Amino acid sequence: MDIYIAIIVTLVGAASPILIAALGELVVEKAGVLNLGVEGMMLVGAIAGFAGQYYTGNPYFALLCGAFAGAATSLIFGFLTLSLSANQTATGLALTIFGTGFSALAGAPFSARPIELMRPLFPLELATHPILRVIFGYAAPVYFSFIMVFAVWYFLKKTRAGLILRAVGENDLSAHSIGYSVIGVRYAAVLFGGAMAGIAGACFPLLLTPQWAERMTAGRGWIAVALVVFASWRPFRLLAGAYLFGLVMTMELYAKAGGGPLSVIPSELWAALPYLATIVVLVLISIRRDASSNAPACLGRPFLPSN
Amino acid sequence: MLFRLEKRQEPSRFMLYATPVASVLLTMVVGAIIFSLIGYDGIGAVREIFFTPLTNAYKWQDLGVKAAPLVIIGVGLSIAYRANVWNIGAEGQYIMGGLAGTWVALATYGMTGPWILPLMILAGVVGGALYAAIPALLKTRLNVNEILTSLMLTYASVQLIYYLIRAPWKDPMGMGFPQTRLFSEAARLPTVIPGTIVHLGVPIAVLVALAAWFIMSRSVFGYQMKVVGAAPHAARYGGFSENKTIWLALLVSGALAGLAGVLEVAGPFQRMVPGFPTNYGFTAIIVAFLGRLNPLGVLFAGIVMAITFVGGEVAQTTIGLPNAATGIFQAMVLFFLLAGDILVRYRIRRVVANPAAGAA
Repeated sequence: MDIYIAIIVTLVGAASPILIAALGELVVEKAGVLNLGVEGMMLVGAIAGFAGQYYTGNPYFALLCGAFAGAATSLIFGFLTLSLSANQTATGLALTIFGTGFSALAGAPFSARPIELMRPLFPLELATHPILRVIFGYAAPVYFSFIMVFAVWYFLKKTRAGLILRAVGENDLSAHSIGYSVIGVRYAAVLFGGAMAGIAGACFPLLLTPQWAERMTAGRGWIAVALVVFASWRPFRLLAGAYLFGLVMTMELYAKAGGGPLSVIPSELWAALPYLATIVVLVLISIRRDASSNAPACLGRPFLPSN
Repeated sequence: MLFRLEKRQEPSRFMLYATPVASVLLTMVVGAIIFSLIGYDGIGAVREIFFTPLTNAYKWQDLGVKAAPLVIIGVGLSIAYRANVWNIGAEGQYIMGGLAGTWVALATYGMTGPWILPLMILAGVVGGALYAAIPALLKTRLNVNEILTSLMLTYASVQLIYYLIRAPWKDPMGMGFPQTRLFSEAARLPTVIPGTIVHLGVPIAVLVALAAWFIMSRSVFGYQMKVVGAAPHAARYGGFSENKTIWLALLVSGALAGLAGVLEVAGPFQRMVPGFPTNYGFTAIIVAFLGRLNPLGVLFAGIVMAITFVGGEVAQTTIGLPNAATGIFQAMVLFFLLAGDILVRYRIRRVVANPAAGAA
């Protein structure tokens, strides 16, 4: 029994950052923008979150630091692709290269300096029973990720602002001619995506490994991008996808810890599994039906109103 | 509004080639300012990173050795990107090339003969191309995004190195270190200038760039790549198959990344080690763009990026600048280049205040 509880708790911890980052990217893509810099923004968020926790010991402030840093990083992407209509694919890649370098530079003085992990949101007395632990045993970002799944769904489906955002992503020229600011809406979406990626990055030192390590997000930002495709741009499917990946990563952790049937397979294969699973998932989704049919029509296309 | 962007009739050729130069110069200026602001010797950093590798003749051989893989991979990527095929997993194809070469080197361990090195190189090229064939197959058959698949395969290939050198390929005399044994003499890349570290990969890189330039500008293949990338509809009308182009783009860029990988493992490394993935595959993306997706441009861009690598190492020892700073300078070059792209397609016009026109 206890082992299953422990597995669920680990799984939720591994899935939450990916879910948060993917929700941000989903909103960005719904606005018609493809930001491939999620990994870079997450790394900048991770070092900002680490530094926030290191200096203040307040994990909520640390998460804010992550959000702010991620949003600031996304502003570079926004300026280049939205104001200067630069190639979104190339700019996203550049952002990831930048984020990797920047976080490594900023993090160099912090290496081998541990911080305190974020404590569970609810009092420990609530989580004494194993079943209750599954419900009440997590730190705040986990609950935040659940709330945001619902919030993003509600925003996109039920609010006027969400309708405008989708219109900008589906048909930018029409949205523009009705009088909406395509660039303005896209800036807002990109900033939101950056903040979410920053929070997701900050989760790595705050929830998973309480220290700074270069490239500590280890490609999870890219998996988040892939999940958005997998989920066909639907928030609740994103939830399912993130937990599927959480499960794969949890199996890796247990295999590495040794013992049991999992350790028959080399640990390197377990480590490669999330990435291979991403490919498998992308293949499955495209076999089932045309995966791109649900993609926002203007995804990745620069908006050039006057020409 | 005081300035206005106006679309050019034709992209400006002057701006196309002026913006890469300007972006490097701007990176120096802005980089010096930023690094000064965050407490480093900013001017010293720019001097060491961009100029010391050029002024210090002793560093020239390092430049050649670092530029060679960047140019070889960058040439392949420039061909793929021309065709609008976004292979960003060159690092993985580079790794697979290195592993395929290592496999031959270990299988022929202790043997001699002039056939070993060509066989290794062939294995490396095939290994890189095969690894790039996975995204090609998935893209052409199932329309799976090649950006994500090629990148995910990169992460997987790193784990494959770790596994191979930990278990089946481990050096029996390595005192437990996860690495293969040192290749035999016949499996090592010879140096071309005696007394230096300049290996055969350096002239190969120059040849690859020249050959690619010739093919891209003179052959039907090059024309097909450009047309499919620039005008897919026209290309279909003209009888060029889009799927064939995707295959060619990925196979060529994968093969060249594999070539770079095998040259690197047989040259500077001479064995497979955990530190083999050196991000050349990612930096080559910057190289391809900085070279304007033109093989000759890539040759120059590869040298420029090699300067920042060598200079970054210099700055680390002389002024204590962390190695990560190099990545920031490289990303800045790409940012400025992408920002400058708008000047290729648009001109900036000064708008004279005119209330009548403003009301319209």
